[in-house]
Amino acid sequence: MFSLSSCKKFLDIIPKGDKIPTTLTDYEAMIRDEYGNQRTTITQAILLLNDKFETSANLNYYPLYTANYFWNEAADRIALNNSDETTYYNAYTAISTSNLLIEHVPESTDGTPEAKAEVVAQAKVLRALNYYVLANYYADTYEESNAATKLSVPLILSADINAPYTQVTIKELYDFMLKDIDEAIPSLKATSATALHPNLGAAHALKARIFLTMGRYNDALASANQALTFNDKLFDWTQFYATYKTQIEQPDVYTNAPSPMGFDFVENYYFRHGSSYSSGRESAIRTDRATRFETGDARFASRWKLRTVAADTYFTSITIGFFNYGGLTTTEVYLVKAECQARLHDVPGAMNTLNAVRVKRIFPANYTALSAANTVDAVKLIQRTKSNELINNITTFADRRRLNKDPNYATTMTKTENNQNYSLSPSSHLWTMPFPQGAFKNPGNGTITQNVDK
Amino acid sequence: MKLTTFLLLAFIIPVSASTYAQKITLSAKNAELIRIFDQISDQSGYDFIVTASMLRNANKVNINVKNAALQSVLEEVFKNQPLEFSIENKSVLIKKKSPDFIDDLINRFQEINVRGKVVDEKELPLPGATIRVKGTKKQVLSNSDGIFNLSNVDDDAVLVISFLGYQNKEVAVGENMGLIKLTEQTGQLEEVTVSTGYQNLPKERVTGSFSSIPAKKLEQQRLSSLSSLLEGRIPGYNNGLIRGTTSMRGGTTPLYVVDGMPVENTRISSNGSLTENIPGLNLEDIESITVLKDAAAASIYGARASNGVIVIVTKKPKQGKPQISVSSTFTLSDNTVYRDNLTSAADIVDLEREWEANNSNLRGTGAAAYAANILTNVGYQSQGIKAILAKYAGTMNQAELDAKLNQLASAGYQYYDDVEKYSKRSPFYQQYNVNLGTANEHNSFYSSLTYRNNKFEDKYNDDESLGLNINNTTRFNKWLTLELSNYFSYSGTTTQTYNTLSPQYSFLPYDRLVNEDGTNFTSTAASRLSANTMTLINNNGLYSQDITALDEQGRNLGKSKNFTNRSYAKVNADLTNWLSYKSTFQYEFNSDRFNTLYDKNSYYVRNRVNSFATKVGTGPVVFNLPYGNINYDQNQFTNSYNFRQQLNVDKTFGNKHNLTAIAGTEIRNTKLEYAHDYLYNYDPMVLTFDLLNAKNLASLQGPVLGGGYFSNSDIAGRSEVVNRFVSFYGNAAYSYDSKYLFTGSLRWDRSNLWGTSSKYQDQPIWSLGAGWNIYKESFFDVSWVDVLKLRVSQGIGGNIAKDYAPFMTANYSSNNNVGGLQGSIGTRPNPLLSWEKTTTTNAGVDFAIFGNRISGSLDYYNKKGKDLLASTMGVPTEGFGYSTYAINNGEMTNNGIELSLSADVIRTNDLTWNTSLQYAHNKNKVTYVNVEAPVYYLQLDYPQAYPRIGNPYNSIYSYQWAGLNADGLPQVYNEKGEKVLNSPATLESIVYSGSTVPTYSGSFNNLLEYKNFSFSFLLTFEGGHKMRNTFLPVLGSAYNGALGGYVTQITAVNNDIVNRWRTAGDENRTDIPRLVFAEDPAYNSQSAEIYQKADINVIDASNIRMRNISLAYRLPKPIVKKAGLENVRFQFNVENAFTIAASKEAKYLLNGYRPANFVWGVYLNF
Repeated sequence: MFSLSSCKKFLDIIPKGDKIPTTLTDYEAMIRDEYGNQRTTITQAILLLNDKFETSANLNYYPLYTANYFWNEAADRIALNNSDETTYYNAYTAISTSNLLIEHVPESTDGTPEAKAEVVAQAKVLRALNYYVLANYYADTYEESNAATKLSVPLILSADINAPYTQVTIKELYDFMLKDIDEAIPSLKATSATALHPNLGAAHALKARIFLTMGRYNDALASANQALTFNDKLFDWTQFYATYKTQIEQPDVYTNAPSPMGFDFVENYYFRHGSSYSSGRESAIRTDRATRFETGDARFASRWKLRTVAADTYFTSITIGFFNYGGLTTTEVYLVKAECQARLHDVPGAMNTLNAVRVKRIFPANYTALSAANTVDAVKLIQRTKSNELINNITTFADRRRLNKDPNYATTMTKTENNQNYSLSPSSHLWTMPFPQGAFKNPGNGTITQNVDK
Repeated sequence: MKLTTFLLLAFIIPVSASTYAQKITLSAKNAELIRIFDQISDQSGYDFIVTASMLRNANKVNINVKNAALQSVLEEVFKNQPLEFSIENKSVLIKKKSPDFIDDLINRFQEINVRGKVVDEKELPLPGATIRVKGTKKQVLSNSDGIFNLSNVDDDAVLVISFLGYQNKEVAVGENMGLIKLTEQTGQLEEVTVSTGYQNLPKERVTGSFSSIPAKKLEQQRLSSLSSLLEGRIPGYNNGLIRGTTSMRGGTTPLYVVDGMPVENTRISSNGSLTENIPGLNLEDIESITVLKDAAAASIYGARASNGVIVIVTKKPKQGKPQISVSSTFTLSDNTVYRDNLTSAADIVDLEREWEANNSNLRGTGAAAYAANILTNVGYQSQGIKAILAKYAGTMNQAELDAKLNQLASAGYQYYDDVEKYSKRSPFYQQYNVNLGTANEHNSFYSSLTYRNNKFEDKYNDDESLGLNINNTTRFNKWLTLELSNYFSYSGTTTQTYNTLSPQYSFLPYDRLVNEDGTNFTSTAASRLSANTMTLINNNGLYSQDITALDEQGRNLGKSKNFTNRSYAKVNADLTNWLSYKSTFQYEFNSDRFNTLYDKNSYYVRNRVNSFATKVGTGPVVFNLPYGNINYDQNQFTNSYNFRQQLNVDKTFGNKHNLTAIAGTEIRNTKLEYAHDYLYNYDPMVLTFDLLNAKNLASLQGPVLGGGYFSNSDIAGRSEVVNRFVSFYGNAAYSYDSKYLFTGSLRWDRSNLWGTSSKYQDQPIWSLGAGWNIYKESFFDVSWVDVLKLRVSQGIGGNIAKDYAPFMTANYSSNNNVGGLQGSIGTRPNPLLSWEKTTTTNAGVDFAIFGNRISGSLDYYNKKGKDLLASTMGVPTEGFGYSTYAINNGEMTNNGIELSLSADVIRTNDLTWNTSLQYAHNKNKVTYVNVEAPVYYLQLDYPQAYPRIGNPYNSIYSYQWAGLNADGLPQVYNEKGEKVLNSPATLESIVYSGSTVPTYSGSFNNLLEYKNFSFSFLLTFEGGHKMRNTFLPVLGSAYNGALGGYVTQITAVNNDIVNRWRTAGDENRTDIPRLVFAEDPAYNSQSAEIYQKADINVIDASNIRMRNISLAYRLPKPIVKKAGLENVRFQFNVENAFTIAASKEAKYLLNGYRPANFVWGVYLNF
C-alpha cells in the first residue's frame, strides 16, 4: 500500500507563508525588520529629563511615570517597574537577532564571503549600539575609577534557548562594545544597502559616542574625524522653515509638514526609530523646556508650535513622518568633535565646529557666531546645542549622567508645577533605571542584580 | 466455511464406573438433553453415543422419576425428541428419527394456511414487515395493507414478526390471526448498534462510553444547528466540549464523523489563524448521533481523539414502498434592544451634572477660557457636557442650560427606541425540507433537499442556504456493494458591517437616529472634530466626515457565497461470511467567496481617502488614494481527501466465542488556501479600477490629517496551510457467551505537523476495555432487572495543534520604507514537538429494570493529559521576552461522573409519559506547567496563558475586595492583607476565584403523549462556574484624541450606578465607587482596574434554561390515509423560553433577556 519512504515524502512538506531561513538574503532581511530590530524606546529617561510634555492622565495611569517625572526619590521604582519594559525587551530582542546573524550568516547558503562578513559586521555594530543604550539606562555611567567594579547589564552572546550569560562590569561591557566595532570595521563599506544597515561612518560615529562617554577624548576625536570623512553634510533647517513658513505661521492651525529626519535624512549615518516605528508626529515639548532653545532656532520652530487644549498648554509637533531618534547622525558627530576639541583645549576649534552646526539652525536674523573663553564655557555652549539637537535621544541622557559626575558641569534640575517646587540632584539614584520585573524575575540561565536600590 | 466443520465431529461421552444403580432417579426442568444423558450414565453405567449435530436440534427435557427402570426413563426422555435410541451392549446409541409414511401423512394434515395483518400501536398497517416461521427459512413480507398469507405451516409453529424500529413479536399460528400489533422500540437501551464510524457494534458488546441521541428526541425540536441538537441530550457535552477542556494550546473541539469519515470544517482567517467549524449537512438526514467519550470508544481516531468524537449516521431508506417526508418550519422572534438595566437619559444627565460639579477647571478665572477651549477642540461630544460648557463659555445662560438638560433628561431610552424602530426588525427564519428514499434488495437510494432562509435582527443581515444530499447503494451480488454519496450545499450570507449601537461616534440614551422632521440624523464632522481639524478639512478640500447612521447601515454590506461538496465512494466486499474488505475514498471541497463593495458615499471610504491626502509645502493637495468605491474580495478554498482501507472480521464460533476485529490504513490530506484582493476606485458596472502607487501610500509624505496605515494587505494577501496524516490502526473485540467482553485498539499516526524525533513518532495510541453482561449469567436471577452491564476501559487519545511546526521559521514581508524583504523569527526550533496525549480511564454501568421501564447508565472517568502544549515563558534577556512559546510540557486532569436516567412513568395505550434526567460532573485541574506570569496583570488578563498548578485551566483570577475607603474609592487587599488603593502588583495578591467551565451540567427532559398529542420540554442546567461581571455600575475610560489623554467616558452603563458612593459613610452601604472624572486628582486607571478585577465582580454563572418546549398534534390516521399520506404532524415550539440565573448581571451577560423564538412546523410523510 504505502512504502515507508513514500510515507516520509508525503509528510515531508515545508509550510508555506513561513520559511526556514537558509540563504544570506533570508538572514539579511532581519536587519530590515524595523519593529523587531530597529527601534529604541527610552521612555523613563525622557520623562526624567522633563523634556517631553506628559498629560496628567498618563502620569496618573502609570505610577512609574509620576515617580520619574516628579523626581520622587522615595518611590520604589523597582516595585513600580512591574512590567515588560520596552527598553529592555526591545534591546535584547535586537541583540538576539544580532547574535543569530553573527552565528548563522557564515554558514548561509549563498552570497560571497565578503557579503556575509559585511552582514556579520553590521550585526556587531547593531549589537554594540543596543548595549550602549542598555548600559546608559540600567547601569551607572562610565567612570574610569569604578567601571571595573560596578555591574552593568547582562551580556548575552547567543540566540539559543537557555544560553548562559553574565552580568558583566561596566568596563567589560564597554570593552566588548569597542571590540565588536573594531571587529566590524574591516568588513564594513562606506555605503550600505539601506539606512538601516550600519556602514563605516556609522561604526566610527558609534565609536566616537562610546569614547566620549568613557572620557577618552583623543580617541573620540579621532573616531569623529573618521566618521566625518564618510559624511559631513548638515541639514539646513532655516531653509526648511522658509519652505513651510505660511503653513507653520497660520494662526490656530496645526498642519503637518513632512519630516525631513526620516530614512533619507542627509545627516544619517544610520537610521533607527525612537519609540514609534511607524509614521507619526513627535512628542510634545514642555513650555519650560522650550525656553532652553536658542532664540531663532529654526529646527525648533519647524517642529513645534504652542497650543492649548483644555487645561494643558504645550508645544505640539507639526511635522509628520519618521524621525531618526535612535540612530547616528552627523550633528552628533560634529558636537562630539566640538566637545573633544574643547576638552583637549582647542577652544576656538571647538567653537568653529559648533558654529558649523548652528549656522544651519539659527535664523540669519538671530545668528551670531559664538566664542568661548575657556573649556568649561565652551563645553556648556556645546552641550546646550547638543541637548536641543538630540532631544529625546539616549545621547542627551548619557551626556547628562556623564557631566553630573564633573563638578564643573553638574546641575540640579528644578521645576515648579501646581505651585510645588521639585528638584533633581546630579547625584540622585534616579539617573539609573531599575531592571523591569519581567526580566528580573525571569532571568533565564544567569543572574541579574539591580544596579539601583529603588 | 470449512473452519466450522471440525466442530461437527462426533464425540463420545466415555463413562466408566464400577457400581451402578439399577433404578434411575431423576428430576430436571428445562434441562439440556446432554445433561440428562450425563446423569443417567452416572447412575446406570451406560455410555451414550451421540454426535453434537444431533444434539443441536434436541429439545429441553422435563422429567421427574423415582426408582424407574432405565428403559422407561429413556422412553420418557425421548418422547418429544426428534431422536430415537437403542440399547446395545451397555451403550445407548442415539440416531435421528426417520419419519415413516404415516408420520408424514399426519404432518401433512397438520399444516394450515395462515393469514393476518401487521399493524402498529395505532392499528395502522405496517407494509413490508417480515413474517417468518420460527426455526425455518420460510418467510413472507406484508403487503401495502400490512396483510400477509402463509401456506403449509405447521399448526404448532410459531411466527416471528419483525419490522425495523419495532420490537420483534412471536405468536403461535392460527388460520386467521387478525391484527398483530407491533410496539415501537423506545429508549436508549433498545438500540441495536452503536456506530464508531469505523464499524457498527452491537451495544451489548461494547466496553467504551458511548452516548446516543435517539431519533425520536430529534423530532421534538427545530433542527436549527448541530450544537442545539447536542446540548442537553448528551451527558458530559457542554458548550461544544465533551468532558471538559483537554488542551491548553491545541484544539478543544470534538472530531466530527459523518457516515464513517471524519469531516473537518477548518477555515483560515485573514490573519492566518485557524478556526474549526461544525460540518455541514442536512440536519433532517440525521438518523443517529453517537458521542464517543472514552478511550475505548474514541482512541481508534488516534491523534485527534482526545476531545471526544461525534459520530453522525444519516438515514437509509427501508425496503418497501418509497418513503417521502416533507417538512417546513417558520420561526419568529421579537426584536428588542435590551435596556432595562441601563442608565436612562435622566441618569446620564445626572452624571453630567456631577462632572460639572467635580471639575475644578470650571471654577475661578480660567473657567470661561477653559470651557471655550474644550468646545473649540471638541474634547467632549455629548450634548449635555457641550451645553454645560457653553454656559461657562458664555454662549448660554443658566436658564437655557437647565431647560436643555431637563429636555435631555426626559428622553428616557430614546436612542435605543430609535435603534429598535429604525435599524432592527423581527427575526424570521424559514426552513423547508424534502427527503425521499426507496430501496429494494439490489439498490437503495436516498436523497434530501433542505432550504433555509434566515432574516436576522439587524435589518441587512440575512442568509440563505440550499443543501442537497444524494446517496445510493448498489448491491451487485451477494458479496459486493458500492455506496456513492454526494452532499452539496450552496449558501449566501449578507452581513451588515455597520451597527447603530456602535455608530463610530459616541451616543447617549437621549440622542436620536432620526430628527424631529423624520429625516435621518447626521452626526456632523464639526460636532466631533476640533476646529483645527475642520480647518484642515475645509481648507484642503477634503471629503466630508459627516456620519448619517441610518444611511451607513445599508452600505458596505459583506456578501459571502459558499459552496461545499463532500463526496465519497465506499466499496464493501464480503470475502467470506466473517471477513470483509472495505475501502472508502472521501473528497471534500469548499469554496468561500466574500465580497464587500465599500460604497464611495460611505463614511468608511470618505475617511480612508482623506487619511491619505497629502500636501507637501505649499503644493497642491494630493489624494493618494483615489476617491471611489473600494472593492474587497476574499476567496478561500479548502480541499481534503481521505483514503481508508480496512479489513473487518466478525466471527462467531463454538456458539459462544465471538471475535470482531478491524485493521486498516488511512491517509488524509487537507489543504487550505486563502487569498484576498482590494481594487480601488472600482466601478461595479464597468468593472474598472485604478492602479495605485502603493509604495507611496505606505510611506506618506506630509499627510494632511496625520495619515492612514497602508500595508501590503491593503492590496492583497495570501496564505496556505497543508496538514497531512498517515495512520495505521486496528482493534479487536472478543466476547465469550455474550457475557464477557474484551476490547483493545492500537493506532499509529504520523503527520507533517510534528517533530522528527522518533521518540514520539513510533509511539502508538492504544486502548483496552472489558465488559460484563451480568444479567446474562445463569446465577443472576433477579426478575425485575432486564439489563445489567459493567464496563471498564483505559487508553490514550491524542490531540494536535494545527498551527505549530517543529522548525525554526521566520516570517517575511516587504519593507515599504527601505525596500526589500524584512524578516523576523516566528517560531523557535522545537524538534520534540508531538501530539498531545490524554489517558482516559472509564468505568460504567448500564442497566434497565422493571421491564425496561427505567433504564440508564452511570460512568466515572479520569482523563490525564500529558505532553500538552503549554506556554513556556520566553526569557527577555535571550531576546524572547515578549513571546511565550509552546512546548509539550503541560499536564492536566479531568475527572467526573455522568449519569443518564430514563423512565417510562406511564405506559398505556393512550397515554405515555417518559421522563429523563442527565447529569454530568466535571473537575478540571492543571497538574503541571512550567510558566508563571512575568507581570501580575497578565495573570488577571491572560489566565489561560499562565495557568496555576492545582487550579482549573479555565480559571478566573482576581483581587480580594476590601471595600470602599472613606472617600468612596475602591480598595483591595495586597499580599500582606493591607487595604490598598492601587494595583498590588504582585502575583501573591491575586487569588483564584473560580472556573468559567461548569462543574456540573445536565438536563431534564419530558415527553408526554396522549392519543394524537405530544408535549415535551427540555430544561438544561449548569452550575458551579463563575464569570467576570463586565456589566459594571462604573464609568470607563478611553483615550481622547482631542484632549491627548485618557478621560472618563460618560456612557450608558449598569443603572446600579445610581446607588454609588456619594457622601462619607456611604462606604458602609455600598460597594459601588464614587464617580471619578479625568479632571479629578484621584483619577487613576489602577483604581478602576482593581474594582473591575476584584472578586466581588466575579459572579455565579449557574443557570437554568428552558431550551425547548414543543406541542405536537398528529392528524388521525384514517383522515391522513384518505389524503394519501402516511403521517401528518403539526408542531409548535418555543425555543429559549426563559433563563434563570443567579443575578440580573449574570442573566444579562448570559443573554438571558433575549426574547424567545416561536416555531410553527408542519411535518408530512407519504
